[in-house]
Amino acid sequence: MVALIIIGALLLIGIFFYNSIVGKKNQVTNAFSAIDVMLKKRFDLIPNLVEVVKQYTNYEQGTLSKIVELRAKATSGTVSDAEKASIDAQLSSSVKGLMVNVENYPDLKANTNFINLQSTWTESEEQIAAARRTYNSAVTDYNNAIMMFPGSVFAGMLNFQPITVLTTAEEKRKNVSAKELFNN
Amino acid sequence: MINVAGNVALQNVLATLEIERKKIAATQKKGYFFITIGIIVAIAGFTLGLLVPTAIAGFILLIYGGIILYKISGELKTYEEAFKIQVIGTALKSLDDSLVIEPYKGISVDEFEDTQIFSESPDRYKTEDLVHGKADKTAFYFAEVHAEYKTEVQTKDGTRTEWHDIFRGILFCADFNKNFNGVTIVKPKDLFSTMGAWFSKNLFSFGNKDVIKLENSEFSKTFITHATDQVEARYILTPAMMERILTLNSNTKKTVSLSFINSRMYIAFPMSRNYFEAPVFKTLLNPDLLNEDITVINFMYDIVRELDLNTRIWGKN
Repeated sequence: MVALIIIGALLLIGIFFYNSIVGKKNQVTNAFSAIDVMLKKRFDLIPNLVEVVKQYTNYEQGTLSKIVELRAKATSGTVSDAEKASIDAQLSSSVKGLMVNVENYPDLKANTNFINLQSTWTESEEQIAAARRTYNSAVTDYNNAIMMFPGSVFAGMLNFQPITVLTTAEEKRKNVSAKELFNN
Repeated sequence: MINVAGNVALQNVLATLEIERKKIAATQKKGYFFITIGIIVAIAGFTLGLLVPTAIAGFILLIYGGIILYKISGELKTYEEAFKIQVIGTALKSLDDSLVIEPYKGISVDEFEDTQIFSESPDRYKTEDLVHGKADKTAFYFAEVHAEYKTEVQTKDGTRTEWHDIFRGILFCADFNKNFNGVTIVKPKDLFSTMGAWFSKNLFSFGNKDVIKLENSEFSKTFITHATDQVEARYILTPAMMERILTLNSNTKKTVSLSFINSRMYIAFPMSRNYFEAPVFKTLLNPDLLNEDITVINFMYDIVRELDLNTRIWGKN
């Protein structure tokens, strides 16, 4: 009888930990999809941005075609998540370069469409940063759950693996302060 | 900082009001004098062998004192209002032309509840001294608020009502510089809220708001954050914003509470002092008279700059 109760109790605790870890893992997936949504939102800005810039400049063709190419690659559906992140980093730096060069085109700089796109771009920049932080917080939560005792015992038995947090490349970190570009 | 001594307009207003103040102070003193004498005479009449005429005389004096106070109360009200509109109003204008004080307006009880900072619903609610204006591009307003709830206590003689503060201080509201749809609440961390957060994280959740774990450890030690959307909460509370809120909080005595809702940000500053009130028995010509009021005005005005709300690069203009 006593043995049964103990087994029952252990089983209940096991279920509790299992559910809690699975819940946390789902949070991680969920948080990752949030980043994906934000990235897609940002990629969708590119065609408009390119269109507007094209009207005013003939000199940035190289940058523009590179941006279009990267966007096509990112949205093709065949790239992995890691690749997507790296494409995003390249895209960010290209767009950043483009926006610095805008200084040379006063007409473009004053274009309402362009100003709108600029602020939407910064907005997406901040939203992606927020989504990344959410993801990292979910990952930390999950990792803590599977690495700390007694969760670590169940995690070991059920083969839950720790996930690495997203680190921001130096390039990216600078990017977030893109407002400096607009305050000129 | 507003320069009181060097502001001619302000000094003129103060000099005019000082005459009024002296008159009110003298009349009030007279009123209180008759009331005191009246009470003494009436008590003496009762205790020293029930001298009915003396007691009656005492009552008459008492009533006379009351009438004097009643008659001056209208003027007192006008004086207090003039102080707010003219003195505080001029001080506000010298800081920024857009700033206006409306002594009889405030923040409605509905708006107070809509901030979602406070969990209790007020049973008694007072608000006054609404100040509104703009700091550069950002519109803001603040008002004094005193919200209380009541409890019934059983005693031998029946029930007694006790009043408890939900919030007493200044509620500040500014247009936020980013678009958002959900609700984010930042409250001071105490034992109760910490336990609540643990429960909602680990066992079951109350309501529709999640606890947000933020990476700034000092921020997480000082505040507990709930929000309807994890990503949006972090979009609002960027690392820079958290630092700015901490700086703002370090300049206040009691920990502030914040909420981000309906495209606005609310900050509740608990304070025990009633600001913008005209003195009756102290001179208006004291150069330090307005110090505390002006400090509060400056502080509120600076919030917009301090929290960088004028940077409008996120698609909201």
